[in-house]
Amino acid sequence: MRPCNSLKLEFLKNWIMGLQRWSFSKKEMGILERKKAIKLSADIAMASARNGTTRWSRALIANAYSKHDKHLVSKGASTEYSRRIRSKKILKRSCRRIRRRSKGLVRERTRILKNLIPGGELMNEGSLIEESLDYIVSLRAQVDVMRSLVSASEVDR
Amino acid sequence: MELNAGAAGTGPHKTASERDEVAALESLQFTDEIRRLMSAPATDNASSFTALLELPAPQAVQLIHSPDSAKLTAAPAPAPNVDDFKGSFHYPFNSGLIERAARFSVFTGDGNINEDNKSNSPEPTSYNSSASLQKPVKSEPAETESSQPLVSDPTVENRRNKRKDREKVKGSTKKSKTAAKESSDDAEKLPYVHVRARRGQATDSHSLAERARREKINARMKLLQELVPGCGKISGMALVLDEIINHVQSLQRQVEFLSMRLAAVNPGIDFNLDSVFTAENGSLMDSNFPGMVMPMMWPEVQLNGNRQQYPPQLHFNALQQSVWGKEEVCNNYITPENSLLSYDSSGNSAPLHSNRLKMEL
Repeated sequence: MRPCNSLKLEFLKNWIMGLQRWSFSKKEMGILERKKAIKLSADIAMASARNGTTRWSRALIANAYSKHDKHLVSKGASTEYSRRIRSKKILKRSCRRIRRRSKGLVRERTRILKNLIPGGELMNEGSLIEESLDYIVSLRAQVDVMRSLVSASEVDR
Repeated sequence: MELNAGAAGTGPHKTASERDEVAALESLQFTDEIRRLMSAPATDNASSFTALLELPAPQAVQLIHSPDSAKLTAAPAPAPNVDDFKGSFHYPFNSGLIERAARFSVFTGDGNINEDNKSNSPEPTSYNSSASLQKPVKSEPAETESSQPLVSDPTVENRRNKRKDREKVKGSTKKSKTAAKESSDDAEKLPYVHVRARRGQATDSHSLAERARREKINARMKLLQELVPGCGKISGMALVLDEIINHVQSLQRQVEFLSMRLAAVNPGIDFNLDSVFTAENGSLMDSNFPGMVMPMMWPEVQLNGNRQQYPPQLHFNALQQSVWGKEEVCNNYITPENSLLSYDSSGNSAPLHSNRLKMEL
């Protein structure tokens, strides 16, 4: 399933906007920092291209909003997302005992998958699979765009 | 402010009375159906049906007189409700007991109800009405009188689903509490999820629900298997999950590497975008270039007010085509020039772009 063009376009638009915003704020940074900023803005761009329709995107935006400097994510929706995530966490914590021992191969792998997908710990198994489907498609689109950008900018250097 | 307070004050009252009205209305519909059926001859198992009707009838008569009849005529009659009601049901004829039994069937799946299912009747059609009826039942279990016909609704649904199931099942009885439950879960998508018990499988409500869940999960896993390359042939959840995890991890790693590479193309990227965005406001859609309307995306990287005279810009549309992997670009801004241009591979036109980048550095 190739990711459709509209998703890629949306992602690129958001990404460029985010990069521009970031480049206005910080002028000099080392390469690692720059890489982190690029990756972060790409992730946020991809998540916002989803427009809050999927849980992983909301979780990603909420995490980015809380952890990193907030200038990259500057919409009011991010606070709403973090609110939703927080309430979900509270609910989960209150009504389930966190069992870390994972018996069986499937359980173990489900746990790993939950750690991979942003916001995965809060989902039950059915929605986990659905979200991972969507996440894989979005990741593919992101990789495609980034790769083409890289190839366009690095050929013939 | 007083108005607001007054409105707020009357708000809850209004909703309470609205709720009562709704409940009464729905009970009315139901009783209307019962009455209609009472007049029409019952097809099979008339004895149990009329036996059941004995109780609701007097209460139905009671309820009829209370609200106005206009609602009665206006309300669309959910006929299939009562058709299903014809099914053999052997409830104890006491309102409290009926209510308790109904609730019991809804929430736990009683054995008694199963054994009473004997006859088959024509398939019911409108589940929507009963699905909507079920919700008031669950929210107002306290009211006995008005809810009594309502409370029978879940049992009606149980009947219906069980009957439908039984038509497919060879010989096993089943509970349909899961169907009722699924209806409330998936009410926005489907009115009912028909759970069919397979031959020789466990039929209590929990395992039915579990099986429905499993089927949903398996369907999604199949989609995932198609998505992830190389997963189609693997059988077994653990290995498929393995592949999925590997795929996600590899994609995430690729994003990291690519962002590192992009950071290494430095400081071209930010510079590019800076200059791009200063010029963005005016000239994205204008044909600054002779007879050219740029596609919206790559102009953000390529377009610059100062570079209008840069001749290879004509080729950048080609670049964009190739950059997108020669997929069809879905925006409408592509000019005829794009089609006229003969672009071949990214290797050919990408150097133009990099040249341009170099110029801007």
